Amino acid sequence: MAEVGADQLDDTIVSEPLDLVRLSLNERVFVKLKGDREIRGRLHAYDSHCNLVLSDVEETVFVMDDEDEDLKTIKKQSEMLFVRGDAVVLISPPSQS
Amino acid sequence: MSNGTAEFQAFSPGEETSEIAKNNPSAFLSQITGAKVAVKLNSGVEYRGDLQCVDGYMNIALEQTEEYVDGILKNQYGDVFIRGNNVLYISSI
Repeated sequence: MAEVGADQLDDTIVSEPLDLVRLSLNERVFVKLKGDREIRGRLHAYDSHCNLVLSDVEETVFVMDDEDEDLKTIKKQSEMLFVRGDAVVLISPPSQS
Repeated sequence: MSNGTAEFQAFSPGEETSEIAKNNPSAFLSQITGAKVAVKLNSGVEYRGDLQCVDGYMNIALEQTEEYVDGILKNQYGDVFIRGNNVLYISSI
């Protein structure tokens, strides 16, 4: 008979890095993407590729304006967004210390 | 084609080792969990924090993380997941 250890019953145990993402399901997250982009939204789904489904999303694009040599930001809003995993750099809960 | 996942040796948290495992990379990774590390990404951005766990793809979970861009502290995060393909190195500090 297979014995289920306490670790396997506890949903909050983090055994691998993706478990940290699992803890953020249905919570607001901050995601850093390639191409100097960041998004903040509510995480609905993820997979091992880091493909993500988010709702109520705000995307911030950091653009280096070569003419005025200024760092500009472009903000976009989306109700629902699918992010392809290969663009993801980091995922973090937005409540930053 | 390997599936990319590595076998980790189990390490009890209280175990003290003065010698860094040199036999294979996965032994090193399982040994430094819990320690403060510097993770450098391919983009040059560096993250310093307490290493919670790593997997065979080099995905990383860090706690109490600081983000350094060009050597300057830019951001701080409570918990961070870093996708493994972006990682250049993980160094214990």
